[in-house]
Amino acid sequence: MMIRCNFRKHRICPTKVALIWSFFSLLMISSLQAQEQAELPFPVYHFQLRNGLQVILSEDNSLPIVSVVIAYNVGSIHEQQGKTGLAYLMENLMFQGSSNVSRMQHILYINRIGGTLNAATTEEKTIFFQTVPSNQLALVLWLESDRMKFLEIKDSNVERVKDSLVEEIQHRKTADPYLESSFIFDKLFYPSFAHNHPVIGTREDLRGITIEDIKSFYSTFYVPNNAVLCVVGNVKRRRAEELIRKYFESIPKGKDIPSPPPVESDQKKRGSYTHEDSIAPLPGFFLGYRFAPRHPGDFFSLSILNYILLRGKSSRLHKRLYKRERIVFDFNGGIEKRKDFAAFKLFVLCNNEIMVERSLRAILSEINRLKTAHVSDRELTKSKNMFKMDYVSQYATFLERALFLTDIYLTQGTLERLPAELNRYLGVSAIDIIGVINRYFISDNRIVLNIKIK
Amino acid sequence: MKTLEQKLRRRRFQGLFFILAFVIFVFPLQSQERYRRSPPFPEPLDELKLPKIESFSLSNGLRIAVARREGLPLISLQLVVMAGESHSPEKLPGLATFTATMLTKGSFELSSSRIEEIIESVGGNFSVSTFLDYSVFAFTFLEEYLDEALDVLSKMILVPIFPRREIDNEKRILFYELRRKGTDPEFAAHNQLFRILFHDHPYKKATYTEDFIRNISYKEILDFYNQHYLPNNAHLVLVGDLNLPTAVRKVSHYLNTWRNKEIERHFIPAPEPSEAKRICLVDLPGAEDSTIYIGNVVFPKKSQDFFPFIVLNQVLGGTTNSRLFMNLRESKGYAYFAFSEVELFKRSGVFLVKAKVRPEVVYLSVKESLKEIENIIKEEITNFEIEQAKSYLIGNFPLQVETFESFCSRITEAQAFALGNEFWNDYYKNIMLISSEKVFEVAQKYPLLTPVVIIVADKTKIMEHLSDFEEIEVYDSRGQLQYTQKKGVEE
Repeated sequence: MMIRCNFRKHRICPTKVALIWSFFSLLMISSLQAQEQAELPFPVYHFQLRNGLQVILSEDNSLPIVSVVIAYNVGSIHEQQGKTGLAYLMENLMFQGSSNVSRMQHILYINRIGGTLNAATTEEKTIFFQTVPSNQLALVLWLESDRMKFLEIKDSNVERVKDSLVEEIQHRKTADPYLESSFIFDKLFYPSFAHNHPVIGTREDLRGITIEDIKSFYSTFYVPNNAVLCVVGNVKRRRAEELIRKYFESIPKGKDIPSPPPVESDQKKRGSYTHEDSIAPLPGFFLGYRFAPRHPGDFFSLSILNYILLRGKSSRLHKRLYKRERIVFDFNGGIEKRKDFAAFKLFVLCNNEIMVERSLRAILSEINRLKTAHVSDRELTKSKNMFKMDYVSQYATFLERALFLTDIYLTQGTLERLPAELNRYLGVSAIDIIGVINRYFISDNRIVLNIKIK
Repeated sequence: MKTLEQKLRRRRFQGLFFILAFVIFVFPLQSQERYRRSPPFPEPLDELKLPKIESFSLSNGLRIAVARREGLPLISLQLVVMAGESHSPEKLPGLATFTATMLTKGSFELSSSRIEEIIESVGGNFSVSTFLDYSVFAFTFLEEYLDEALDVLSKMILVPIFPRREIDNEKRILFYELRRKGTDPEFAAHNQLFRILFHDHPYKKATYTEDFIRNISYKEILDFYNQHYLPNNAHLVLVGDLNLPTAVRKVSHYLNTWRNKEIERHFIPAPEPSEAKRICLVDLPGAEDSTIYIGNVVFPKKSQDFFPFIVLNQVLGGTTNSRLFMNLRESKGYAYFAFSEVELFKRSGVFLVKAKVRPEVVYLSVKESLKEIENIIKEEITNFEIEQAKSYLIGNFPLQVETFESFCSRITEAQAFALGNEFWNDYYKNIMLISSEKVFEVAQKYPLLTPVVIIVADKTKIMEHLSDFEEIEVYDSRGQLQYTQKKGVEE
């Protein structure tokens, strides 16, 4: 699927360009055919620019719009101690103007034509995305390339963003009385600093970030060889590729990207901890299992197990905790996957301490029940169908499809395994479920943080 | 004079040359292609081609509409029953909503938890919503389970049993939900606006409070169900990779036993708009900011004024680039947000401005909002603004029909309001036709300057800032009039 193109020598003569184009379109057709065999419900075309930018295109003419996602392979795990919040600060700075686009104009340009846009920073990536009428693809590429190449990093912008982020931290803390305890749980759950500090950073760290820190972060990570650009929608592939080359090819390649620190999996903290909280309105607990899956297929089984346990009103935990015993006020959680390890996390709120104890016992007993008795076919099919619905909904809109493809590329480094992926999830058996729950849901992997009201 | 001007002009030119020289001298290092300096021009926009909608009526009167969409292994289905809040009995507002919810809580063969399980086993998402004119049962599921989905839907709709335990449970849930919503200033403002605008009209029933819930019982639910849940009072819309004959065959198999009967139609007249400006304060203890809703009755969903009016709305308050936001937030700094919108129903609609502002500038915010409305009525909007509004509406529309569910909802609307199968497909064309004159014409037609103004705020914090209003009606958070205060007269 990957086609490397070197376009330099063909630039001089337009007729030659046309010839080369038809040659390329042949290549594209063959890649498309390969796709069809692999049974993805949409075409995918992937290539790399010579500056290292990964480009993924998916043409769909059902509606006259196009979605553009650009993802930088950088997140809070790349931050140094004392500089937390830098990745998120960088994301916000990307809206503060670049050489040819003044402050906040990016938003205005997109809004004016009826488009939508947003951005997000996670532990592992920073993404920028927009959907616009398909005749405006060039506008988005112009905007994105301008801030990839010529972002304006100046004191006034940095200070303005810092102020708003400090305010945001405060706002989030007020809006979510359990935010602080979730940070405490993460500190216990992930031993390494890279993984256990909050993406939004701390007030003190944010204030301490210098303009040099930001410039160096930008020039290290916001480079084409650390980015994936995905375009999905009503644009001819050839035209899209032409525009992408026009706006991105001349952006110079950056230095080699430093790899993030690995997770120190053996420095495990296990057992039960207690945190007394002064703002939490109700008691509750965090429960987590963290492990490095030994078999590549385990993640598929874990994902289905997640549905059996807690997705939907007919899931085991929902039925037991809400309907049968009525002991929880609220609960949520799920499987989390980071590069080399997986985690299962649950957050439970109860009306009082007695209910907290009973809920924890009930959850552990449900987990134990799964260790010995097979899940029935009916339950397994139900869980897989719910999973399938959520899985295919990941590419229901152009934007969702672009985010999905970008994410797959960032986590797997290839799109080649994608066509077969859904079937691997749906192929999980009752024995596989028993296998993963016995392997990983053991007390050695378990951490509990009780939240007590002060 | 002339020479001075020339001199100045020359000097300005010299300055420009100097800057240019500087730019050329300094920037070759950071080379930049010419085309990067300004935004590229858009290419010609492709037409909007939505899937064709085909329809058919079963012998029991149930109307079926199908639109084929591919690319996802799903089907989205919506059953629309013309049993909205406006059909609730005068003394039992909320009954339409309650009955619709109860249909999912147990049928002749299935308990509510068995229904939940079946829905989940077809990968389904199921939701129930009740509007003024109708209720919608929306169900999206994996396409290979069309039979199972129709089977469970038919059991819910055709043979519900309304178990008493579930009624009590649902009453409790709805009671707390309404109580929680009642503390939301926007919900309170919206409800109060509708309460006053529709004071003597069946649409007022949609503004029921939690106090009404306790009066609902098994008998009323059953009566309401028997009266309204009829195939000849419903539409079924399907979106997915399927054609009309297949859909008709399957739907007919599961729903042909649904017995029709004559519908007792109560004529709902068109409500009259407010003819004099009224200022109403809703006291919401604890509210930090002030929420303003300004609105009046306009036209129904099916109206030739629809397209010009949504362009008008766009210019006035559709987005952050619109006049209200630019004035109240960007220029004056009064508001956190300021927008306008049109909510349209079968018999009429409401045009409203909404803003959240600092308490001390409530009076000025209302004044500025009314001034912006007045500008739209008094002066023709420039072509530039009209074209910008149109390009927003055209660009944004496909985003609203992108998923199977959202497209299905649009068809549902078209069916329920009898807009015709081509209505959404012609959206681009109809927006493009709108001119500044057309918008000006439609702006004159409706009494936008005699609206009802709702202010939701904490009375103890706001009263001192309201002294400039001539007369204020003061309501409690449940919509009961407490007293009327006149300018210069003590409480």
